[in-house]
Formats: sequence, structure tokens, C-alpha cells
Amino acid sequence: MSEEVDLAFVDMIVAKLGDGPESLIPILQAMQEHYRYLPAEAITRLCAISRIAPAAVSGVSTFYSQFRHHPVGKHIVKVCHGTACHVKNAGVVEDAIRRHLHMEPGQETDACGEFTIERVGCLGCCTLAPVVQVDEVTLGHTAPDTASQAVEEAARQPPALPGSGVESGTGTPDSERPRIHIGVGSCCVAGGSQAVRTTLEEAVRRMGIDVLVKPVGCVGMCHQTPLVEVVDGGVAGRGGASALYAKVTEEEAAAIVRRHFRPAGVLKKMTLAAASLIDRLMGEESEQVRLARHAIDVRDKPVDDFLGRQRRLATEYCGSLNPLDIEEYMSHDGFVGLRKCLELADSGKIVEEIKGSGLRGRGGAGFPTGVKWERALVAAGGGGADKYIICNGDEGDPGAFMDRMILESYPYRVLEGMIIGAIAIGARQGILYIRHEYPLAVKRIRAAIERCRERNLLGENILGSSYSLDLRVMEGAGAFVCGEETALMASIEGRRGMPRLRPPFPTESGLWGKPSCINNVETLAMVPWIIRHGAAAFAAFGTKASKGTKVFALTGKVRRGGLIEVPMGITIRQIVEDIGGGVANHRQFKAVQIGGPSGGCIPAELGHTSVDYESLRDVGAIMGSGGLVVMDDHDCMVDIARYFLQFTQAESCGKCTFCRVGTQRMLEILTKLCAGEASRDDLNKLEELCGLVSRGSLCGLGQTAPNPVVTTLRYFRHEYEAHLKKQCPAGQCKALIKYQVTDECIGCTRCAQECPVGAIPLTPYQKHEIDTAGCTRCDVCRRICPANAITVASPC
Amino acid sequence: MPKLRIDNREVEVAAGTTLLAAAAKLGIRIPALCHLEGCDAQTSCLVCLVKVNGGSRLVPSCATVAVEGMVVESETAEVRSFRKAAIELLLAEHAGDCYAPCENVCPAHMDIPTMMRNIEAGDLRAAVATVKKAIPLPATLGRICPELCEKGCRRASRDDSVSICSLKRYVGDKDLAKGGGNSPYLPECKPASGKSVAIVGSGPAGLTAAWFLRQNGHAVTLFDDHPLPGGALRYAIAEELLPRATLNAEIDLIRALGSGEGVTFVMNTRVDAGKMAELKRDFDAILLAAGPVDQEKAAALGADYVGKGIKVDRKTLQTQEPKVFAAGSALIPLQHAIRAVADGKNAAKHMHAFLIAEAREQGGGGEFASRMGRLTDAEMDRFFAETPTFPREIPHRGGGGGTKDGLSDSQAVREASRCAHCDCSKLDSCRLHDVAMSYQANPARYRGTRREFQRQSVHPLIVYESGKCILCGLCVAIASRAAEPLGLTFIGRGFNVKVGVPLNAEFSKALERVARECVAACPSGALDLRYDAPAERDANPPIRLSLPQLRT
Repeated sequence: MSEEVDLAFVDMIVAKLGDGPESLIPILQAMQEHYRYLPAEAITRLCAISRIAPAAVSGVSTFYSQFRHHPVGKHIVKVCHGTACHVKNAGVVEDAIRRHLHMEPGQETDACGEFTIERVGCLGCCTLAPVVQVDEVTLGHTAPDTASQAVEEAARQPPALPGSGVESGTGTPDSERPRIHIGVGSCCVAGGSQAVRTTLEEAVRRMGIDVLVKPVGCVGMCHQTPLVEVVDGGVAGRGGASALYAKVTEEEAAAIVRRHFRPAGVLKKMTLAAASLIDRLMGEESEQVRLARHAIDVRDKPVDDFLGRQRRLATEYCGSLNPLDIEEYMSHDGFVGLRKCLELADSGKIVEEIKGSGLRGRGGAGFPTGVKWERALVAAGGGGADKYIICNGDEGDPGAFMDRMILESYPYRVLEGMIIGAIAIGARQGILYIRHEYPLAVKRIRAAIERCRERNLLGENILGSSYSLDLRVMEGAGAFVCGEETALMASIEGRRGMPRLRPPFPTESGLWGKPSCINNVETLAMVPWIIRHGAAAFAAFGTKASKGTKVFALTGKVRRGGLIEVPMGITIRQIVEDIGGGVANHRQFKAVQIGGPSGGCIPAELGHTSVDYESLRDVGAIMGSGGLVVMDDHDCMVDIARYFLQFTQAESCGKCTFCRVGTQRMLEILTKLCAGEASRDDLNKLEELCGLVSRGSLCGLGQTAPNPVVTTLRYFRHEYEAHLKKQCPAGQCKALIKYQVTDECIGCTRCAQECPVGAIPLTPYQKHEIDTAGCTRCDVCRRICPANAITVASPC
Repeated sequence: MPKLRIDNREVEVAAGTTLLAAAAKLGIRIPALCHLEGCDAQTSCLVCLVKVNGGSRLVPSCATVAVEGMVVESETAEVRSFRKAAIELLLAEHAGDCYAPCENVCPAHMDIPTMMRNIEAGDLRAAVATVKKAIPLPATLGRICPELCEKGCRRASRDDSVSICSLKRYVGDKDLAKGGGNSPYLPECKPASGKSVAIVGSGPAGLTAAWFLRQNGHAVTLFDDHPLPGGALRYAIAEELLPRATLNAEIDLIRALGSGEGVTFVMNTRVDAGKMAELKRDFDAILLAAGPVDQEKAAALGADYVGKGIKVDRKTLQTQEPKVFAAGSALIPLQHAIRAVADGKNAAKHMHAFLIAEAREQGGGGEFASRMGRLTDAEMDRFFAETPTFPREIPHRGGGGGTKDGLSDSQAVREASRCAHCDCSKLDSCRLHDVAMSYQANPARYRGTRREFQRQSVHPLIVYESGKCILCGLCVAIASRAAEPLGLTFIGRGFNVKVGVPLNAEFSKALERVARECVAACPSGALDLRYDAPAERDANPPIRLSLPQLRT
């Protein structure tokens, strides 16, 4: 490992980014990008040439999980352990990959230095669960028997070009021109939309037709990615006939073009006809038959159900806007709200409008946005230069990706909301704090800021007014706790993301001690709509105390997962059954986990619960940032509680006693429960710790950490009781289940051949047997058995 | 000037005052470990929690600013239960023993590691003072003790235990042998308390109780039906094992304790029912320590009988009659004199608390000890990293007579240096220990994965035992404020966070300017001055000592 480290890069990056403590995180990020880890020599050099103390460098670089201190393998395999991935057996997938690469649990890099495995909290592609990312390639719907091969294949792919994902996207699209929309949200990209897009463009070029292949933001139907929509003219859903194709492959993309458009010239027609004939002669499945399978009629009932109950404000023009096309955004009422505010030139009136709308923070706690703005407005900060507006895009909840999608698909809407906010509170500087796990969101926002500057929507004297605002992006470095506002500010200042006691609230004393207003991405994305349509129009949606709409990431065991926006007050059952199409695979709807690690599990019996801040709080959950993971009867609630505690425990900053030690003890007890080793005394202690941690912890992370345990204890206590008796009713906890072969076995030996640990003897034409002691419960045998002869049983 | 109420008492404080300071103004002492005057609030230990305006959550008083009209709860059962839980959670991850295992095993809890240091330093006056804080008869017991402490010695599982018992005898013998102007050690006694105590029986339990009660200023009279004091020590142990001259000399020191008449011995006096009534009339408290009793004898002493002895409250050693206590074989026949000594010491403590109201309040917390239990091999290696490896020279008593003549001075110093000092060197000033004691915390309540015991002794001034760190953050803040070139920092996060040196540098380089300040601020035993650290006013840089003088 004693390779010479080229330290000139450190000098260069410090010169570029600055040598003060506030530049520390960006510097470390640049260093890691360059060296792929943080070499000790480079860190020492950084301390030597900057004004940053060694204590700060070591403290920060070991706090954020993004930073690595050891060299990594050629390829980095990120195994997502988000909630949706967890309930879809991400653990088993990771085990399989590790076995394949001969890596022990906890080992970071394989012996040949080829692969480094990293567990990540959530990649935000929950509808594709379980997800594994190999370098830049995202693999969705992975399975233990196929994952290893997929990883190897993905590693062989050439690296993506830098800057991919940022569209040139200027020039007004001719609304009369026929168009093909291709989703370029992260889910669609993960589903392979870049390749599909290239094929579409190639097909259009070859046919010589005047058709625009247009990248659009998230369509929301993430369970169907990649999505292709053919629009003959006009805007989809507004008259122009359109056809929607789901799960489109590269091969099918050209066929879609051929199905809808005639080639331009006679020669081209002939060439293409021949090619198409050859395709058929080669025995390919009929194009028409194949495409019919993927065509979705927007008037189909399922699609209508999926879309019918939704009301799109933050995600307005979903699936039809090119994310970075500023002209297009403007032609769809973009920046109308901003202009209105500039004309109004009255901060107080803007604040009143937001207060009147009843908008509450969409990041979780539901604090009235107008009240926050008002406090920031009146805060003694002197001139505007001494106030900050901050957009919290550190969406860390596993199982949530609303903010990612909004940032990726509607960057201008978020910026517009933020500019309006800045005008309202009198801030001249703003920062968007976006987690580094969302590279596409970061790229698009950066590009969008650039374009806004070009058009004087940002910068000095915005659109000739007296208001000025400068915005910049700060990338988070992998710490869930930085979603907490005081920790987030510490992070922007270049420190460890440790929360502090409030009060003082950020609106009094925030970033660098100045009044600061921190709003969540979705909150800001609501603002332009409110300003345009007025407070009353917004308040017309929702319930008495929870106004407007809320964006949710609907994932887990639901048939139609995706990104949805619904009016407040809709019931959980309506979301799961009507929009989501109910639970998949003929299983039974058991619960929804709402609010992520700070939220709770609401049982199916409480499906009538209204989705609003107060009702959710009353049943023990929270609105949270909007992750909604559906669970079926095969999901063990003790395991789910353990899963969330594992998350919060790992993400605890470690500052206050209750959270640091309390969550660790809770996790230990839950782990014992899942292993069938817990006693009644342990269970009592677990409940006691719930109360201590929630009431004694310093910040929101600790205060809400016990919620998943509290709610599962409240609604599913019988499962805890069963685990005390060494039983897992859902058949999930590995230590408490065993795999058995039934009499249906035909003796085909497939299980014996595929078993990665040789726990099934090869006995042709005999009923196979599984050695429970050797079995790792990897589930491969059950999945591949052609006779469905393998079952999971509780040993007691 | 906001006015607020704390525990229903009104107080007015300057704007910006914390609740911790406001409470202090009312004389309410809220415990806090991570708080240091002049340092930013760390809000990490959360032992200083209070409840404000009846909210469901509790807040740290060290950082919560008083606001007009605030209603604060501090000493309520609920708030105290949260503080206790915070302490217990801290203890659950605290890898350190308050006392060395040998001390824990010793029934009289003698401070063995300190005795070892005293011997090694050649300070026998200090050594005997250390010993006699627990055992008034070291020369006596050093000859007959069953060496229980040596079974607890960590070194026993490595090569062989340190010869604790022989060293204790050595200390006692050397003290008695002093001649000329150097009289044997007698501790200072408190001024006369005006209280009188009668002790029935002058065996090891009675003698020990007399020793400690007298030091607290009480007038002590021992009654015994034998002609000479000593009880079982004199009448049940052979002369060749325990020379009577030694026993007499140590008893004479007890007799001489304190000004005036010292301790009074009334011999040849049988305490029967009549005498007992007389004692109850004439004395403020009575200790029954007359050896084994039967039902009849117990009845004569006016005590209830249960099992094989007098019935007492196991916590206070009090009989059903509040002023009458019992100890030693009167409770249950004992095999070893050291247990009777321990009982006598314990009885003296409770009798003192019974006699003096203040002592009752101070001693309310009882004992507290954090214990690590079994150590891993790696942890053992850390313990012994700086301890000389030469083997034990002095045979065990069972091993045949080698201790007959006691140890030479050089043998004693050499043997004492084999001690690894498994105790906590900072116990006397450990604030974690203090709060744990006053809140009667149970260190095992939230026990789970414990950190590893660590010890870094490379710094010229200080020793760092990271397993004991409660992550309060004070040393990190002090080092940063002093612009230490390296300083200390938090490494990692969550349960695995620890305080360490930046850039993986050696601990010796961490603190160049404020090492002592950090030690003083450290609320636990994590940072302590080296045993051999030069005094603060010493301008010369510390000199590194060679093994085996290099002690921690």
C-alpha cells in the first residue's frame, strides 16, 4: 500500500476550494473522488497547508460514512439496505455476493482487491428493491441466485461519461411536434433508460423522422421503469393522443418508434422493412405481440386508479417536463410566482400568504412554514446579507426518495420556492444541502442554478428588482443525523454533524450564528403553486390542520409502487389498495411503515387512519418525510423493529448518553429477540429503554428512534411474545426457521446443485433433505425448486 | 431578570442564566458530568436533566436558559429516575474497575494497590496508614489470614499472585518495630462527639469496631469475660502461628487511640441480662460482638435469634432494638478473623451513622463500584504492559514456612512492584463515581456489550484509559481552545465513537499545553496524571523513568 501519493492534488484543491474550516467537507470529498479514499499522507498535507486543525480533519473524516480511510477495490458494490430492500431480502442478496467473492461478513474488500462491498442506508430506488449498485450501474430486483453474476457483468461495463444525466435541454419544444418521452429520473435510469433513450434517438435518426426524443423527469410509476411515452402532439393528458410503454428494453425501443411513426423517405422505408423482416425470420417474437404486453393504456383501470386519486402540486406536470429545460418550465407557469412576489415587493404579504395556506414542513415535524418564515423575517440580523435560507435535501430515511425525485425532476420549482422564501425572510444567501448519494439531483440543481443566474433569476437585483440572492449546493457526506437542522448547519460549517440543544432556534441563531430558515425540498416545491393559486386554493386540499398535498414514496410489498402525491386526509387503505393496487403475490396486507426510522408501523386494521400530521401521530407514527413501506404477512415485525434500530443506532452521532448507549442496548435486545435468545426481563428492559431514549435524548433522532419499537409493541406484541418462545410467526428470523423439503419433491437435484453451502446432499430421484445446521437460509433452493417442494417452517 | 420556580421555590436570575446555575442559587445541586465553568455547554452526559413546564421530555439544565415564568422540576422522583438512568447507561459502557479485584475480594476492602505503591516508594508510614484504614491488626492478620485477596489478584491467572498478605504483615511488623522517637502509627481522632459506645466482646470484630468508632470521636468501652482481650485470636489460635507479643502490641495501639483515656477495656465481666440493661441505660449505642451465641445467650442479651446467631437488619447490622448492633460470629460463626474485622468495620460505620445525624446524610449513598468482570487476554496484556515480569519469590503460606521471619525490605519493595494496579487511580476525584454513589446507580442495569479496557501510558504526564471515557467532550474542547498543535478529537460516531488523537498520531503528542487541565476536567478516570508525574510547579520537563519504576 506504500504507493506514492501525489500530493499536488491536495494543494490544487485547497487553492480552489479555500483553506478554511468551512471548505473541509468539500475538500475531503474532492480528495476521495481523486484518490478513491483518503490517504493519510494527503490528510497530513491538508493540515499542513490549510487553516484547518488536525482535530477537525480527523473528527470530520471519521464522522461521515462517505469517507474511506483504506484503499478500495477496483469496483465498489453498494448493497442497499433501505427499508424496501430489507423487506425484499437485501440481506440474503448481500450474503450471496459475499459468498461468491469469498468475503467474510464485515470484510470490506476481497482478497484480489477487485471488489469493495459497502452497505448503504438507502439508494432511493425503493421500487426496484432489492437494489445493488456496482460503480455507476444500478441493478434492480436482484435475487440471491442471480446477483453475483449480475455484479460481475456490471463491473465489466465501461464507466459512464462524466456529466451524464445533465441535459443540454434548451430551446422551446414545439408543442405541435410529435414527441417520445423517456423517463430520466434515477429509478428510470436504474431501470436502463439511458440505453433505451440512445436507441430511440438512433431509431428516429435512422428513420429520418421529425420526432423529438425528450427526457422527462420522474413519471411516478416507478414500478414500471423505464417508461416510454409517445405523444403525437400537444401535451400528454391534455388532448393529444398518447401511448405509454412500461419496462421497455433496449431492443423494444426501436420497435416502439416503428409502431408509431412512418419512415420519412422511400429508401429508408425499404431498408427498415428488410431489417424488420430479417428480425422476424430470425425467429424473434412478433413485435406487435411483444409490444402489446408492455403497452399501458392511460385509460386502463389500474393506471386510472394509480393516477386518479393523486393531486399534483409539488410534482405538477409530472412526467412531461424536461427537468433542465428552463424555457419549458417557464411556459408551464414557471417563475410566475416569483414575478408576482417581486411585483408585490412586500415580505410581510408573502409570509401572510404562506401562513394562510396552512403549509407545514414536509420534512417530518410539520412545523408551520409561514410561522418559521415570519420568525426569520423579524429576526434581528441587520441587512439581508446576514440571513440564510437553507434547503434541506438530506433525505436520509431509508425507504424515501421524494426529495430526490423532486430535485431531479423539478429543479427550477425548488429554486423558485427558495428564491421566494429568501425574498420573504430577507436572505441574500442560500444553500441547498443535498446528500451525495443523489448525484443526479446534485448535478441538475447545480446546472439549474447556473441557468437561473444566466437569466438573472438569481444573482444581483433579480429581474431588475432590489432583491439579490446567491445560491450554492453543499453535498452531504453520509450522515442521517444531518437531516436534523442544527446538525445540518454544523455540517455546512464544516464540522461533525452533531445536533445541539434548541432553543436557540435557527431562525434566531443559525448558520454561523446568523438567523437561518431551513425548509425541506418538498415544502419549497409547494411554494410556487401556492403563490400562483393563492393560499385558499392550497388550503382547499387536506384536513383542518393539515393542508394541501403530500408526496409519498410508496414501496414495499405493494403491487404498484412509485412516487405519488395525494391530498392530505386520504386514508392509508386508499393509498395501499386504490393507488398501490394492494399487496402483491396474493399475500395479506399486514402493516405500513410510515415515517421511516422515526415513524411507526400501522397495522392493516387501522387502514382507515387519515393521512395527516395529527392522526398519524395519534397512532404512534409520524408523517416523516414520506416513506411508505407496505408489509405483508411474511414480514416479521420484530425484525422490522430491529432493522430500524440498527439504522438509528448506526446513525446516532454518539453525543448524548440516551441515544448513544440507549439505542445500542435496544438493538442488542432486539437482536437477541430475533435469535430467540431474549428473556422476559429483556423485553421489559426494552420497553423501559423506549421511554428513556424518547424522553431523554437531545435531538429528534434519539427522541423518535424508539417509535418503530413502540408501535410494533403496541400493535404486534404477540409477535414479541412468540419470539420469547423461540418462534417467528412470519417465518423471517433466520435463527428461528428452517427449510424443509415436502413430499412434492421430484428428486431433480437442482436444489442440491445450487445450494451455495452444500447443505443438500445430491440424491437423484430421492426426496432431498436439507441439513439445517449447515443451511444459511439463503432461500436459493426455495426459489429455484421447480416443484415448489421447499417450505419454511418454525422449528418449534 | 427572569423569575422562575424550581421545585416550587422562586428564584430570580440574570438574563442568560442556565437552569443549572439558577438551581445552584437555590442551593439545589444538580449533578452534571460534562459541565465545566467557562467552557461551552457540551450537553453530552445528560445527567443534569430537568423537566420544564410539565413537558413530557426532559432537557439538560446546563444549556437551558432560564425564562420568565418557567416552572422547573429538579428533585422529583421522575427527574431523578432519568438522571439515574443516564448514569447507569454511562456505567454500562464504562470499561474500568473502581477497585482492584483484590480489594473487592478482601472482606475488609483494604486498599491494596495503594499499599503496594507506598511500599515500593519506601514510605512505610503511608503504607501502615493505608492498611489501618481497613484493618487495625495487620501484623496479626498477616500471619493467619487465608489470603483471600491473593485469589482475586489478576496476576494469579498470569504467573502467580502478588504476596499481598505477607506484605501486609511486613507493613504491620515494621510499624510495631519502630523504636526511639518514632512511635507506631496512630491515626488522628475527631474531637469528642459526646456519645458513648459499649462493645460486648474484645475479639477481632469488637476491637475493629472500637478502632473506627474511637476515630470518630466516640467514647468506647469494651466488655469481655476473659482476663485478656483478643477473643478467638488469643484463645483459639496457637502461639507459634500468632506470637502473643504481636497481638498484644496491636491491641495496645487500639487502647492508646485518641486523647484522654483512649479505649477502655473492662475485663472479666460477663454481660448477662442485668448487665445488658445497665449498658442500655448508660451507653448511646451497644455492639454485640462476643462471638458465637446460642438461643439462650441471645435471649439474655435481649436479641432475637435466627439461624445460628443474632437477628439483625443485614444492611445496618441493627438488632430489633435500634441502639443495639451486632457483628462477627455473633451473627453467624465465622471461619476467618478477617471476616470478623470486616464486620466490625461495617458495624462501626452504621453505628456512627446512627449516633451522628450528619454522618447519616453523608453516608446515605452507600457503596458503589464499577466492575469489568473477566478480562480478555488482550486486556490482560494491557494491564501488565508496564509491570515487571519477574516471578513471585515469597511462597504462599500453605507452601511451607517461608514467611516465618517476614520479608526483608528489598524483598518487600521488589514484590510490591509486581502489582499491576488494577484499581482506578482517580477514584478519589472521579465525578462519575460520586454521582453513581449518590444516585445509588446499578452498574449492571443496562449491561451489554462493554468497551475494551485500554491503557495508553506513553504520554510523559498523563495516562489515558479510553474505556473509561464518558465522551463528555471537555478535553476536546479544552485542547481546541488552547490551540494544541494536535489536541484530541472525536473519532467515529455512534456507540463506537471515541476520543483519540488526530491523524492517528501517538498519544504522547496529543496534549503539549493543557494536559493537566484536561485531567482536572475529566469527570471519570479516563485521563489521569501519571503516578510519577512531576509536581505542577516543577518547571523542568518530566523525566522518563525506566522500568520498573515506570508506574501508571
